[in-house]
Amino acid sequence: MTAAILIENILQALVAGLLIGAIYGLMCVGLALIFGIMRVINFAQGDFMMAGMYCAFFIFGPFGISALFGNVVGPYVAAILAGPVLFVAGYLVHLFLVSRVSGTNTATLEGEGHYAQLILTLGLALILTNGAMILFGSQPFSVRSPLAISAWEIGPLWGDRVSVFVNKSRTVSALISVATIAALGWLVARSRLGKALRASADNPTAAIYMGIDVDRSHRIAFGLGIAITAIAGGLLATNYSFHPYVGLEYVIVMYAGVVLGGMGSIMGAFWGGMTIGLIQQMSTLVLPTQLQNTAIFVIFLVIVFFRPQGFLGRSAERT
Amino acid sequence: MLEIEGLTAAYTHVPVLENVTIRVGAGQFVSIVGPNGAGKSTLFKTISGIVTPLSGKIRFEGRDVLAVPPPQRAHMGIAHVPEGRQVFPSLSVMENLEMGAYTEAGRGDWKENLEKILTWMPVLAERRNQLAGTLSGGEQQMVAIGRGLASSPKLLMLDEPSMGLAPAIADFIFDKLAEIRSQTNLTILLVEQRVAEALQTADHAYVLEAGRVVLEGTSETLQADDRVRLAYLGM
Ligand SMILES: Nc1ncnc2c1ncn2[C@@H]1O[C@H](COP(=O)(O)OP(=O)(O)OP(=O)(O)O)[C@@H](O)[C@H]1O
Ligand SMILES: [Mg+2]
Repeated sequence: MTAAILIENILQALVAGLLIGAIYGLMCVGLALIFGIMRVINFAQGDFMMAGMYCAFFIFGPFGISALFGNVVGPYVAAILAGPVLFVAGYLVHLFLVSRVSGTNTATLEGEGHYAQLILTLGLALILTNGAMILFGSQPFSVRSPLAISAWEIGPLWGDRVSVFVNKSRTVSALISVATIAALGWLVARSRLGKALRASADNPTAAIYMGIDVDRSHRIAFGLGIAITAIAGGLLATNYSFHPYVGLEYVIVMYAGVVLGGMGSIMGAFWGGMTIGLIQQMSTLVLPTQLQNTAIFVIFLVIVFFRPQGFLGRSAERT
Repeated sequence: MLEIEGLTAAYTHVPVLENVTIRVGAGQFVSIVGPNGAGKSTLFKTISGIVTPLSGKIRFEGRDVLAVPPPQRAHMGIAHVPEGRQVFPSLSVMENLEMGAYTEAGRGDWKENLEKILTWMPVLAERRNQLAGTLSGGEQQMVAIGRGLASSPKLLMLDEPSMGLAPAIADFIFDKLAEIRSQTNLTILLVEQRVAEALQTADHAYVLEAGRVVLEGTSETLQADDRVRLAYLGM
């Protein structure tokens, strides 16, 4: 009797963890892409995600996606479209700001430009949060799909007892996440552009000798990284409401996921984010919800203690 | 084909190159020799745009190279095989060669170039899917040379291709260069510490010391020169 309830709870948390983990994974991949290719830690990543959420909101409503695709499909289309919009934003932010303190311009800067990068991206974070606060205020927004309150029931699995509810909206979001990662994986591993991005990361000087415009590679990587995280934001917005400070809530998820995956490993970051999602949901079985983030942090420290290079870390291999 | 005139370059206030003038004619094999720290690699980096000179001119096929942004210089037909190989460690051998073919010319000739490169250096075919960072030094040097050739260059610049290699492997690399040259009539600019080999294969050579050209001439003249014989050939 109680065993059945326990199993049901565990299965339920597992499913919830996998679904939210896929979105967290996508979020982390955006950050990892930027770090892996540019060696820049973007402290504004969470706030660009927030920008992606508002962007999805406005694409959905005022820009007529809801009229075109309806309330059920519309939010997902808006989330995906937030990607290209934020790509352009990221591309421009790199062109005018980030490029000044990174890439081939760092030779004359102290600490290879890392201090300047830290200050710049923290500044961007503040501008984005406060800018959103001025423009949209602190009341929560949402792009919730009606699917967010409906679920498939799987079961009963054990007699007439154990059955698991799978939220439809989160399932769709998780599938979009996985598809986005697959597309990005193909781009980075197989396409000419992706190979040029990796070459630029591996050895920028040699990449220039090959005729690769390394600064442009970085611009594209920065835009892509922002776009990927923005899509993750848009997908979250189909399930949860958001506000200008929402970036902060997910920053810990992103950094923990990226470090778990091995700094800079793109697929590693996905599994890192997935792990965080699972830990977070599983912890609700034993901890009050307010302590979810604490659980993430503790497990994060434990894993980093035993495997500092992350799951797919290759730091030793990199030259 | 390549005309360098009065080139002066510096990293700090001390000039590393001073008033260097070098000419490479189409189809020529030119060697530059000189002791450590003479500025040989700096010269190549200036041609590739990694170092900006203080003064002087570089022309390639009549075009002002210094006015061309660094990443565009490979597309002009200048291939730089850098000192210490500098392969892309986390890319496979094949992907390294593909990056060599990033230039328009290299892309167009990819099939023929690849076939030639793999015939000259069959090891690369065997190792095509291995990450370049896990190759031996000699194999990495072949990747670096193959990568340069894959761009369909008009001028191939090689910076100490024998560095850190066992004598037998270095000999093999020199033989390959001679073979490639005889088959393609490619213009080659070579920097080498192994002066005997560098002079043997070259048509023309320059001796660079402390940033200045101290001697130049056909390789026969230099091989016969007493200073060269004493300082570099140990005779
Ligand atoms: N990035 C740099 N910053 C400051 N000084 C440099 C830099 N690179 C080279 N130098 C200096 O410039 C001088 C010439 O260096 P360069 O590498 O061109 O010599 P080289 O002739 O290629 O020597 P080697 O035969 O040892 O490769 C050296 O004194 C070196 O210390
Ligand atoms: Mg050198």
